[in-house]
Amino acid sequence: MEKRGAIWVRSLVVPLVVMLMSCSQGPPVGGESGSLHESLPAELGGWRALDEDSVYDTESIYSYIDGHAEVYMAYGMVRCVSRRYSGPEGEPDIVLDLFEQASAADAFGVFTHDRDGEEVDIGQGGLFRHGWLSFWKGHWFGSVYAEGESEASKEAVLALGLAAADTMTEVGEVPALVAELPEDGLDPRSVRFLHTQEILNGVVYLGYENALQFGPEVDAVVGRYQRPEGGGWLLLVDYPDDASAEVAEGGAIEAGIAVRRQGSRLAAVLAPEPQAAGDGLLADAIGGE
Amino acid sequence: MGNNKLNRRDFFTMGSGAAALGLLRGHAGADDGEKPSTSRVVLIRDRDVLDSEGKADPNGLHRMLNKGVAELVGEKDAAAAWRQLFSPSDVVGIKSNEWSRLPTPAALEEAMRFELERVGVAPTDIAVDDRNVKANPVFQRATAFINTRPLRTHDWSGLGTCIKNLITFTERYPDYHGDACAPLGSIWLRPELKGKVRLNVLVMLTPQFHSTGPHSFSQEFVWPYGGLILGVDPVAVDATGARIIEAKRKLHFGDDRPMRPPPHHIQIAETQYGIGIADPDRIELVRLGWKDDALI
Repeated sequence: MEKRGAIWVRSLVVPLVVMLMSCSQGPPVGGESGSLHESLPAELGGWRALDEDSVYDTESIYSYIDGHAEVYMAYGMVRCVSRRYSGPEGEPDIVLDLFEQASAADAFGVFTHDRDGEEVDIGQGGLFRHGWLSFWKGHWFGSVYAEGESEASKEAVLALGLAAADTMTEVGEVPALVAELPEDGLDPRSVRFLHTQEILNGVVYLGYENALQFGPEVDAVVGRYQRPEGGGWLLLVDYPDDASAEVAEGGAIEAGIAVRRQGSRLAAVLAPEPQAAGDGLLADAIGGE
Repeated sequence: MGNNKLNRRDFFTMGSGAAALGLLRGHAGADDGEKPSTSRVVLIRDRDVLDSEGKADPNGLHRMLNKGVAELVGEKDAAAAWRQLFSPSDVVGIKSNEWSRLPTPAALEEAMRFELERVGVAPTDIAVDDRNVKANPVFQRATAFINTRPLRTHDWSGLGTCIKNLITFTERYPDYHGDACAPLGSIWLRPELKGKVRLNVLVMLTPQFHSTGPHSFSQEFVWPYGGLILGVDPVAVDATGARIIEAKRKLHFGDDRPMRPPPHHIQIAETQYGIGIADPDRIELVRLGWKDDALI
């Protein structure tokens, strides 16, 4: 979103949060999440926290968010702290979920899984659409979701997100690999950071065979390009060592994927249109012709 | 459509009882002879079944269910149609879906229970369940199942379908998550299920055509379609629903947002597991009721 929108969010929300956070505390949650949790507002703009908070681990998360837990698990989820807020009469409940991920890069990765929406100035990157705010900061991914849409609930969602983000002291780094994507023709909002083929399949479907040898130790970034000569998805993958990259290179060639390797880094072009469009992208990414 | 189309006359010709049921069940985890070359699917819609908040009128929903079942089986009378599918000696598990954002409507479950009791099935031999089916005593001794759920997009399988709805019969769900849930069709070949699912009802009252956020749901991405898709063949039912979702996504997003991952478990259920027909050209689609904006 344009800067004007970002400024609007903070100017609208900050006074409300400061006023309310000073007079409200929630019940404690153990472990590292405790201090973060205790700083969250128990009431905000007429929305009041319900009951005890819930903390989900890598097993119980599957029952909490049926069908989506795999996304967080693919980025090394540690735990999820969840709180429900009940709204004023006629307003929807709001659900706040804070996912502690393995690293800041992973929190960023989760954030990139869905990049629809308007940019908002919350955390290290925030997006708002249809009653749902997502943001990341440090090794946390935050989700604030209104179970219905209204102007009041939108304000409350943004205020809660801002309050939550402000309790997170760590600032993370966007994975360095992201900056390695050539700028020419790149749609910045299409960029995803990932480790697994299952997540990549949600962007460009490659099938079941793990030809590119994805895994927890593998970092990858993918972005969509449109240039005068054509378009496609450019994938950059960093492997733990040259040998692993070489194996992946062989697998990709066998699968008919256009790739180029330099040491432990592999570049691949997926779904090029026309086919020749991939050559320029590979050359920009790795070098050569 | 093939020459061996399974049509209303076929049902009349076969009459009620084992012969008809045997052919119907041939799609649902075939355990008997020749498989029909086509599948019949009924899409029934009612413009007035939903109120302004998207809640279904129980009576209207019951009427839709009965009209759909009657058309599916080729009977004019709903009670007779239900008797073709179930007998008083059956023990029936109604496999529902309790996902909180978009559950199977309780009114639909009640309508099914009512009709089963009207057939003569003992109330103690009917149960509705979702996540507890493996421990449910009625499901454990079931001789027949009804499988029903709303259609929605799903991050791991592309679509949450009738085929997928039986995953709660398995020990470990992640075992079926590989390759966009490609192995889901294999669940239907488990001994406790094979050939026992006699009716699939895909709820299309407010289908969900896109997922967003951890809770995979936004009111923005459901719409009042007011429909049910019924069939004995889960693959044909799901393939029909998938076409509607694809059409809705195209309408909403344009051409650049295909379902990701693709719901190819539907096709694989046919090609690899042989539990039904996914090819639209081999699906006999019967349309009843409201025709506007059907998207198919």
